[in-house]
Amino acid sequence: MDMYTCDSMPSSRSEGSARSKLLSLAGMSKSYSPTVCALNGLDLSIEPGEFITVVGPSGCGKSTLFNIVAGLEEPDAGSEIRFLNKPVNKASELLGQVSFMPQRDLLLPWRTVIDNAILAIELEGKRRADARRIALDMLPEFGLAGFENQYPNQLSGGMRQRVALMRTFLFGRDLMLLDEPFGALDALTRTMMQRWLLDVWQKHRRTIMFITHDVEEALFLGDRVLVMTARPGRIKLELPVTLDRPREPDIVTSPEFIRLKRELLIAIEEESRKSFAPTPSAGH
Amino acid sequence: MNVARDLLKHLCEALLRGALTVLTMAVVWELVVRVGGVPSYYLPSLVDVLAAVTVAPGAYVDSALRTIAETVLGFAGGAVFGVLIGVAFFQWKALRDYLFPMFVISQTIPVIAFGAVVVLWFGNTLWAKAVIAFYMTFFPVTVNTLQGLNAVDPRQVALLRSFGANAWQLLTRLRLPAALPQIFVALKLGATLSLLGAIAGEWFGDSVGVGVLLLHAMYNEQIPALWAAIFLAGAIGTLLYAVMSYIETRFVFWRDEL
Repeated sequence: MDMYTCDSMPSSRSEGSARSKLLSLAGMSKSYSPTVCALNGLDLSIEPGEFITVVGPSGCGKSTLFNIVAGLEEPDAGSEIRFLNKPVNKASELLGQVSFMPQRDLLLPWRTVIDNAILAIELEGKRRADARRIALDMLPEFGLAGFENQYPNQLSGGMRQRVALMRTFLFGRDLMLLDEPFGALDALTRTMMQRWLLDVWQKHRRTIMFITHDVEEALFLGDRVLVMTARPGRIKLELPVTLDRPREPDIVTSPEFIRLKRELLIAIEEESRKSFAPTPSAGH
Repeated sequence: MNVARDLLKHLCEALLRGALTVLTMAVVWELVVRVGGVPSYYLPSLVDVLAAVTVAPGAYVDSALRTIAETVLGFAGGAVFGVLIGVAFFQWKALRDYLFPMFVISQTIPVIAFGAVVVLWFGNTLWAKAVIAFYMTFFPVTVNTLQGLNAVDPRQVALLRSFGANAWQLLTRLRLPAALPQIFVALKLGATLSLLGAIAGEWFGDSVGVGVLLLHAMYNEQIPALWAAIFLAGAIGTLLYAVMSYIETRFVFWRDEL
């Protein structure tokens, strides 16, 4: 197991920005035991409407970060969370406040497409009939028209993922957390889904935080790419993506794209090498 | 009703498949008895067994109805109680720690040992037998409910919690439906066990019921009647199991995905 400890790294947060933030994290640490530290002094802020992508070596604490922002795990004492410009004392206050989509689609096999899509808003207390009506109107946009009464085991992987995304979109929160939503899809379906997601995002103007392993995906989708360090995780590099929108598929061959990609790959390579180092010597 | 027609179709198909097997076995049986010259004391001819029924068909119909009533009553009670207690054990760990050992001990006592007491408490009534059938059913249902609730994918629980689900919503929208396959395993077992309980209960005294038919035939050495009662018990057991299987296929249609 990891032998890194959280000896509270100083927060390198800059207080200057006067623009309103949707979410800001400062000095966020999370240790699972005295010897296992997943996050250490992570600073991060997201503006409304932003599309942020997060990349990093395996096991760098990306999922821990998401779990905390979704309210499922508590960070260590001293971590600061502000959401919608209000301080959050316990992460669990965020339960029900953000739209979280985990890696697996986790559809309920006994619910039809439409009933899976309305799960979150039904839990919120919306009447089933009303929720279904709203969802029915959204089906075509998610490429699911005519499939409302199918069960998940009758759908392809890409369709299942769209049902899960629709469930996340329907939840209507300001911040959406997508944890490698396309990781399990084949390359072709994946490209289609990325373009489709950009379309939907541009139309609905929601704030998205998106975890991925794929550098091209991170660049193609994001306004900013955050590179995380190897465990214990913090932000190593914040790279603004200087590519115009709407982005066409062939943008991945443009010189600017390739320049950004090289920069990202170098940063990730550095961190990956650290996490494969024989002895834990993370520089402190 | 659509459901009723489906049930009928399901039963008919099962019966048709079974009929072929049963017919083959019956032919073998008759051949062994007639050609092999087995004394009717050991194995009576099926024709004689049938004759035993046709002499007094009313007794068999009454007995079957009575035993089915006892079984279904005890089974339904045991199933509901078992699921409720399973849920209670899941929600309150302390309750499980204190009561579960008692449940296990109660099940190590053979049901026959309770028979006399139950008859003392409830008399020679339908309720006495239903109580024994209940006793046979609730424990496996409790255990499987608890197991099923515990086996729910923690990632699914996390997802619903992130949507702000409370404990009641987690239970009704996720845990109970996810536990259904496990619960049905116990319900099918319980259907057979509760029939055993009802018949055992009838042995402690009653005038009508499949258990009574068995006992009378045994004491009076009416071997064809004994076999007729055995077949009747088998038919009731199969019927109950088939009904539970059918309900399972309707409620747990998504099972193959797990």
